[in-house]
Amino acid sequence: MATRRRILFHWSFLLVAALIPVVELVLPGHPHIGDVLRPILIMAMLALGLNILTGYTGLLNLGVAAFMAVGAYSYAILTCDIYPFRLGFWSATLLTVLVGLTVGLFLGLPTIRLRGDYLAIVTLGFGEIVEDVLKNLDSITKGTEGINPLPSPTVFGYQFRPETYQPWYYLFLGFLALLVLLNRNLRRSRVGRAWISIREDELASSCMGINPMKMKLLAFALGAAQCSLAGALWASFLGSSGEPGNYDFQVSIIAVCIVIVGGMGNVGGVLLGALVIIGFNSIVLETATDFLKAHQLISSTNAFTAPGNWKYMLYGLALILMMRFRPEGLLPSKQLKAELHPEEPHAPPPAP
Amino acid sequence: MNILEISNLTVRFGGLTAVNAVSLDVPEKQIVSVIGPNGAGKTTLFNAITGIHEPTAGRISFNGAEACRPFRVATAMMLALIGLIAALSALLVVNIEPLWDATITANYVYQQPFSWVKAARAAIHYFDEQLGQRFVVPFIIGAVTGLAGAYAIWSRSRRAPEVAARVGIARTFQNIRLFNQMTALDNVLLGMDSRLGTRFWHTALRLPLYWREQGESVQRAMEILRFVNLIEDAHQLADNLSYGHQRRLEIARALAMQPRLLLLDEPAAGMNPAETQDLMKLIHNIRDRGVTVLLIEHHMPVVMGISDRIAVLDHGEKIAEGSPTEVRSNPRVIEAYLGKEHGDTSAT
Repeated sequence: MATRRRILFHWSFLLVAALIPVVELVLPGHPHIGDVLRPILIMAMLALGLNILTGYTGLLNLGVAAFMAVGAYSYAILTCDIYPFRLGFWSATLLTVLVGLTVGLFLGLPTIRLRGDYLAIVTLGFGEIVEDVLKNLDSITKGTEGINPLPSPTVFGYQFRPETYQPWYYLFLGFLALLVLLNRNLRRSRVGRAWISIREDELASSCMGINPMKMKLLAFALGAAQCSLAGALWASFLGSSGEPGNYDFQVSIIAVCIVIVGGMGNVGGVLLGALVIIGFNSIVLETATDFLKAHQLISSTNAFTAPGNWKYMLYGLALILMMRFRPEGLLPSKQLKAELHPEEPHAPPPAP
Repeated sequence: MNILEISNLTVRFGGLTAVNAVSLDVPEKQIVSVIGPNGAGKTTLFNAITGIHEPTAGRISFNGAEACRPFRVATAMMLALIGLIAALSALLVVNIEPLWDATITANYVYQQPFSWVKAARAAIHYFDEQLGQRFVVPFIIGAVTGLAGAYAIWSRSRRAPEVAARVGIARTFQNIRLFNQMTALDNVLLGMDSRLGTRFWHTALRLPLYWREQGESVQRAMEILRFVNLIEDAHQLADNLSYGHQRRLEIARALAMQPRLLLLDEPAAGMNPAETQDLMKLIHNIRDRGVTVLLIEHHMPVVMGISDRIAVLDHGEKIAEGSPTEVRSNPRVIEAYLGKEHGDTSAT
């Protein structure tokens, strides 16, 4: 059966991901692959949150970094030693998710009737507002410094340490797997169906008895909650809330790139997009820089020789090329559509 | 027994009167057709019935009641809650920094135990001092804004398409509006959505109810697809179906809502004679299942062949109503709609 093969594929994928930190111990030179994979996992979570909004429901959101910032700062405020809350990892994460949910609703309610470009502008503005608030709310967010240090979390009695990255890697992988499962479940149920119908034709879907307002608010709340979870984990990993500038427009754009390049509305596509884009950013570019440095091809006086400076141009180029040649993304959801109900006994043989 | 009663319905768009004082009664379990030349206001009438357009005047009552959201206690409580939340957030926005300083910063000593009671007292003290400026004013502004906004959104969505759909009015569209990137089966399942009982948490956690309902709904959707003769195409994307099949799929999607009244907007448009015959049979079968059918159609053989009653619109006004034979011989209809030449009735 096609499904069984697919399930097997997913599990083997997870297994490979889980084995990376173990395998690299025996590789020569201890390359720390898992270490550089951590940002990929976090950004994948962020992009999954965005995918609910943009991929499923068709609401272009250019301010997901703000949701991430809300998550990171709530987590920081709730766990740090300079404020009296000092919660543990689980309760702080849970509360952070709830805060993200509320913020999503707050942004969703007034913008409920906006679509397309207009919504994109509003969310863009929201991202800027959050960044400015974090900068200026000095006595709570500590301005441009951010809140630090945060205590390393203790999960199931295990004390995390900044030096050993493997536990972090597994923690993030676990959360990511959980989110993937959640998103997949939603996608293949009436909720996901309703979201996609709103994306395709809002009027027709409301004529089918679906309340677009309710479904859009749900998408906003869930998307924001996932993004803030990504923010909370990011903060716990950094040991700091990060500074407000860490959650600027570029982060939102990268999340949008991940979703578009990977394949809108498809969980697997989003994961692949995160791997490609963040992997390019933190693995390929870094390796190239190191290589060029080792061969003394980078001069400090000439900015053009540093690969990192070409980053955004390459992103832009990639987006343009994607739009021209493969607008549906690397792993579009369309191909999976026919497999959605394979357990159905009346199913005809798959089309050749 | 009339399932739909339209009395003196008027729909105006700016200066244009699309539907003018139309009254129409649709008896239960009959096929009623609305005909008329292009621009006569037929689709506008449908849009008003399904809640897409707000009637300028007049009343549409379905099953003895108007299809709009009732104002319940729960609605009032929801509005009050939104108002309260807005008020609290306004309070927070205005006060957050001094409040934080007064309660947390002032009372917390690094890594020492923290007394929440003391903090709460400090908060009360803070608001006590600043009562007028910093408490009452933002609270009122927030509450009023929240309440007004929530009420505006609620009242604008009172007569929404989803409300009409949920009381049992289903429709198809003149220009097919299927969900093209979904399979035929998914389209039908979507039509069934308002009849499903699973909630968000059932689907997210895959509770037993999800599995039970998933199986049942797929089975029911398959039955409906078999009813409209689309069972072979169940797993095709709607986009890939042929035109006639898309028309039938749209009817299937509407039937999945288990409607009591089905509005078909030109279902035979663009169909060949054989497909048209099938369609007439299908509409008959739908009626025999106990669904009332209200039909817009230009294709005269279809209209004359299956209608129990026919209403004729012209320039937004109803000019005739009656059985097919009556309408056919009505001079006003012949003049307005069929033209002077009596023989040419099959114009599409």
